[in-house]
Amino acid sequence: MTTTAERQMELTLPMVPDIEIAAARAVGNLAREMGMSSEHVDEMMHAVIEACINAREHSGCSDNRIYLRFLGTSQGDGSRVDIWVTDHGKGFDPDEARSHRAAPGTPHKRGRGLQLIELHMDEVEISTTRNGGTTIHMVKYEKRHHDGENSKYEKKS
Amino acid sequence: MTEELKVAVERKPQGAVLYTKGYINNVGGEEIANRAYELMDDGVRILLLNLRETKIVNSIGISILIEIIEKMMDTGGKIAFCCLTPVIHKTFQIMGLANYASIYENEETAIKELGL
Repeated sequence: MTTTAERQMELTLPMVPDIEIAAARAVGNLAREMGMSSEHVDEMMHAVIEACINAREHSGCSDNRIYLRFLGTSQGDGSRVDIWVTDHGKGFDPDEARSHRAAPGTPHKRGRGLQLIELHMDEVEISTTRNGGTTIHMVKYEKRHHDGENSKYEKKS
Repeated sequence: MTEELKVAVERKPQGAVLYTKGYINNVGGEEIANRAYELMDDGVRILLLNLRETKIVNSIGISILIEIIEKMMDTGGKIAFCCLTPVIHKTFQIMGLANYASIYENEETAIKELGL
């Protein structure tokens, strides 16, 4: 099977309010160019938004920058989009972040961003070290199947 | 860059419908809360949030929606949502909103079921 990298984008964004929308729009455009379904595009946009908010609100980095890389790859039977969101901040404990619950009546009404990322994406890998920054690598797949003359994409899961 | 949320209110005989347009983040969530609390202070106990023109929410905005649900539950009232995108619907389920607020596919059904 031949694998070809078709789209790549790198962004460095300042940590200012609502900058996550710029990141989400950029990955949304790339995913649409890859032919991904609107639901998958929406899921990726929401995941990138949460990753950028986590970086902006919790990283405590001194350079006030979020570094993003998007890679869209077309394969024989489908496509995938890889997303890396990096900050140069203080790092965090993913298990502690996952323990937050935001339902009514509970003290933690915030802090569910990581769970949302993990549920919207097919694969999530977090690299974080104390004072060494954090990179969240997320992957979304879409399988292509052939239906007569037409080809369309469907969700992996 | 800013993404301002617009909120419109339509009073109904038995409650009200809030229409949102744009990104529900911390600022947008607070805007919804302000309008919802005004209506609750005015005696409204059934509130429907129509998110037809909202395509993106973030976890901070959702946390504010949860606070609104809590306040309405304290008054014995009810909050419901309609016209959610599939991803927002999924996000609400992940965040637990679906356990405390009804979600309807369209406004017509919601109004009928809620008795608005």
